[in-house]
Parts: sequence; C-alpha cells; structure tokens
Amino acid sequence: MIEEPYRWVEAIANRREYIETQLAPGSPIAALSYRDGILFVTIGRARQKLFEIYDRIAMGAIGHPGDIERLRVVAIELASTEGFTRSAADVSLRRLAFYSLSPVLKTAFEQVYGAPYLARMIFAEVGAVPDDDLFLRLEYDGAITANGLAGDAKPLRSSVISGTARATEWMEELLRREHDSNCTLQRAMQVALDAWSVGSIPPPEEVARELPSREALRKHREEKLAGASIEACVLERNGVAAIRYRQIVGEELKGLIA
Amino acid sequence: MGTATRGWGRAEIARRFEAGHARLAEEDAQGGSEPIEALPPAHRPVIGDAIESLGAGGSDFPALLRRHALLKEMALLPPAVAGSPASAFIPTQATTILAFKFSGGVLVAGDRRATAGNTVVYDRADKVLEIDRHSIMAIAGVPATAWEMARVLEHSLQYFRRTQLQEMSVDGKVRALSKLLRDNFGFVMQGVGMVVPIFATYDFEGDGSARLYFYDAMGAQFEVAEYAATGSGSPGVRGVLFYENRWGRKPLHKLREEDAVTVALRALDTAAEADTATGGVDRHARIFPIIKIISREGIKTLPERQIAARFKRTVA
Repeated sequence: MIEEPYRWVEAIANRREYIETQLAPGSPIAALSYRDGILFVTIGRARQKLFEIYDRIAMGAIGHPGDIERLRVVAIELASTEGFTRSAADVSLRRLAFYSLSPVLKTAFEQVYGAPYLARMIFAEVGAVPDDDLFLRLEYDGAITANGLAGDAKPLRSSVISGTARATEWMEELLRREHDSNCTLQRAMQVALDAWSVGSIPPPEEVARELPSREALRKHREEKLAGASIEACVLERNGVAAIRYRQIVGEELKGLIA
Repeated sequence: MGTATRGWGRAEIARRFEAGHARLAEEDAQGGSEPIEALPPAHRPVIGDAIESLGAGGSDFPALLRRHALLKEMALLPPAVAGSPASAFIPTQATTILAFKFSGGVLVAGDRRATAGNTVVYDRADKVLEIDRHSIMAIAGVPATAWEMARVLEHSLQYFRRTQLQEMSVDGKVRALSKLLRDNFGFVMQGVGMVVPIFATYDFEGDGSARLYFYDAMGAQFEVAEYAATGSGSPGVRGVLFYENRWGRKPLHKLREEDAVTVALRALDTAAEADTATGGVDRHARIFPIIKIISREGIKTLPERQIAARFKRTVA
C-alpha cells in the first residue's frame, strides 16, 4: 500500500484523523503560573490524569491510558537516571521533551505499520520566579508548543491541552484575558476552572466570536461536576524540600473552590 | 519502510517469557559494551530500553541503573593478600552514629569526623542523611560507598512513588537498603567498602509510630525497640544509652526533646573520650554533632545554636 509516496501521505493523514477522533472527547487540562508555583487542574471521573515526573516537573495527559502510562514511565526513567548520575539540577524539561520524547513520538507516528501513541501531553517545570516557568504541549506526532523558552519575547505563563483545536484556542484566549502570573493560588484555581469549562463546553451551532459568559461556564461546570470531580496539583516555587510536587485534595481543595 | 520496531514478535515475547527478564537485562542494553555516560544525552538509547523494560516491572530503580550499566554489583572476591597494593590502601571511614526513640519520635545523631587510619580526613562530615520526608539513613563505615548507597536508596523510593503512584511500605524501604548492603558485600570482603547503617523512619500504615533498624555489613536488618549505635565509638555509646535507659531518671522513650538531646551529646562525648576516630564535640572549632528528629510531621534538623546552648548547659 505504501510503496508509493502519495499513499504514505494519505496513510499519515488518515492516521492523524483517527487519532484526533480518539482524543476529541478528552477532558481538558490547564496549567498556569501563580505567585508561589504552578497549578494543574482538570475534571475527570476516576482515572488520575496529573502526575509527578521529577522534583520540579509535572505532567498531565489525555488519550489512551496504556499509551499515557508508557510515556509517563519513560519520562520518569529519563529524569531519574539523569538526576541520579548527574544531579537534580541537571534534569531539564526542555531536554527531556525536545531530545527524548519528541523524536520517539514522531517515529511511532510515521511508521504506519506500527501503532502510534494515542496521547496528548502537557508538561510544566517550575522556576524561581513566574518568568522562569516553562510550559510544553507535546502532541502525538512529536510536535511541541512551548511557552517560556529562552528567547520567547512575551510568552504565556500557562498552557492547556484539550480534545480539539477549537477548544484549545478558546482556553488560551480566556487565559490571555483573565490570567495574571502573579496571582494567588485561589485566583489561579478560579481561572483554571473557567479555562477547563470553556474547553469542555459543547460548541454552538454557528461560529461564535465571543467566549461564553462566566455564568454559562459556571452552570456548565456544575452540571459536569455532578458526575465527576476536580483533580489538582501544584509545583511549589519556594519549598525547603527538593520535591515541589503536591496533590491538592480534601479540605485544601474545598477551600480553594469555595 | 515502516516495519514495526517497537512491537515484539510473538516468538521473541515467548523467548523472553521463558528466559525470565533478569538474564535479558544485559542483552537488552543496546550498543553492547558502550557505557551510557560516553554518549551525548540526545543520542542515548535509554528511551527504547525504557519502553522495552516496562514488562520487567518498572518500579525497581537499581534494576534500571543496572540495565544502563550505571550500577554494578560487586563480585565476591577473596580478601586482599598481605603485601599487595589492595592491602596497603586505607579507606576513609566515617565513625560513630546513634539513634533512639523518645517521647517526640526518634532522634538520630552522628559525630562529624571522617578518618583514614590515624589521619583525620574531615571534621565536618554529614553522616545523618535524609532519604525522604520521614526516613533517615545514618552511616558508619566508608563514606564513598555509604553516600552512593544513600543516593541509590533516595532515588529508589522516589522512583517507586512516582511510577507506582503510592508510597513504598516501611518494610519495602527497609528491604531496599538491605539489598544494597548485600550487593556491596564484594567490597566488604576486599576490606574497602564496609558500611554499617542505621535506618529510622515513621510508619503511617502500621501502628503509627517510629521504627528503628540497624544493619550488619552483609545486609541483615535488626529492628530495635529502644536504641541503636554503630561505628567505632559505638561501645561507649551503647554503654551510655543502656545506662540511661535502665538507671537514668526516665527510660529513653519517655524523655522530652531537650533531655534526649543531652543524652545524645553525652553519649557522643563519651565515645570520643576513648575512641580517637570519633569527633565528639570540637570545642575550639565549635563543631557540633548533627542531630535530626523524625516525628509524625516529618524531619527536623536541630539548629547548631540550639545544640551548642544545650551542650554548654548540660554536657561541658
């Protein structure tokens, strides 16, 4: 089938369409800087979707649980091996994503006889100040969208993933308007939940130019929360301990969403 | 083009299944004998290995290191022959450490001296090492080996938590250190890598109390109810702790924090009196032992100021 080049292009296009269809129902994830760290938020049913990768790095993913699991463990192995042989300070999200994960994802995606990874991932690495925070979105084909690399003149201090390109655009638009990287955790949680809501609200029939109202977002969220729950974690900026990852659960979560 | 490189053929899977994964770890290391450090990070074959290794139970960090030739098990060798270069080599030694349970948790203390034969190598060595939020490994023996062991242990526990999404059990942690000691026994037989640690942690799963272990050089773990001491100054320390526990005003487990600190300082001072390898307290240079306390809330390192004040009032 793929001896001829145009057939290969066709096969790749089909595969892209297939993967996009599989990812489309995925619950969005938002990650954003706040004064004292980085907050990850999503809403889901049972499966954990936010993970600790290393001391200052966390990850969220949508897609097939098996593929997410393999990529997650690979990321942890790479970071742990580097942290052990050199030092924790040598573990870098930039290197992890660009030099290790991206090439593997691209290879798997383009080898049309093998299975691709059904996963879209979001990574963040916390810095000493919000301007040092790094956010990466990593696609199933190895493409990377980075916010906060050196040389990036005015990066967003946030990143999102969702099932569709339109939802992602809306989430980014909302964050561009509402998010301030020096805000409190409480404020960051509100903005992140609004971003989640705008990313998961069903698209209107006609092409809408304006974001849904805050009321509409809240109503949509409350409906969804009847059968699901909020999952959140932070990477703390100023901890004495080396490990900055912390899940937000129980009373703390209740206090933040009140 | 486009042949499956990630998937295994059925025959290959069957072969691995029969052979068991352990033997195949070396075969799996792509590039054969080339050490992984020699390659620039971008070219490491780690990622392919990592994916293939998942079937082998991806929660054992030392196994991961071995797969990448970053950790070697020492073969058992006979002791060095007299007159050989090996027998003339005198390794650096870290000396006395102690730990005991008191009313506020468990106190772990160590003097600061490292020696090689008659020479004092270093007077500010840190032998009380934090492994995770609630665990401490204190070391007596060869620091080169001990610090490496502590690094492997620390990463093992973190790696387990991150991959398995749960904390390793206390028994699991205790066994992990035991295994590292046993893997090191080749060095011990050659007389250069003896490590005799104390491991203290807090058990949230079980009865919710402090747990304390000491080890021998072969990796046997001994859980103790009251106190433990290892290293060259340990006979003196054990004497003091035994005496305090039995005939002191209160048994050790009933002591308040400041009295526990006093006992620890007196024990180390006693050890230093007879054992030249134990630093005790250096009054001129103002070097004090390191004292850490594990409680339900985590690990607290006592500030030097506080130890100095306590020493002045109750020991000096």
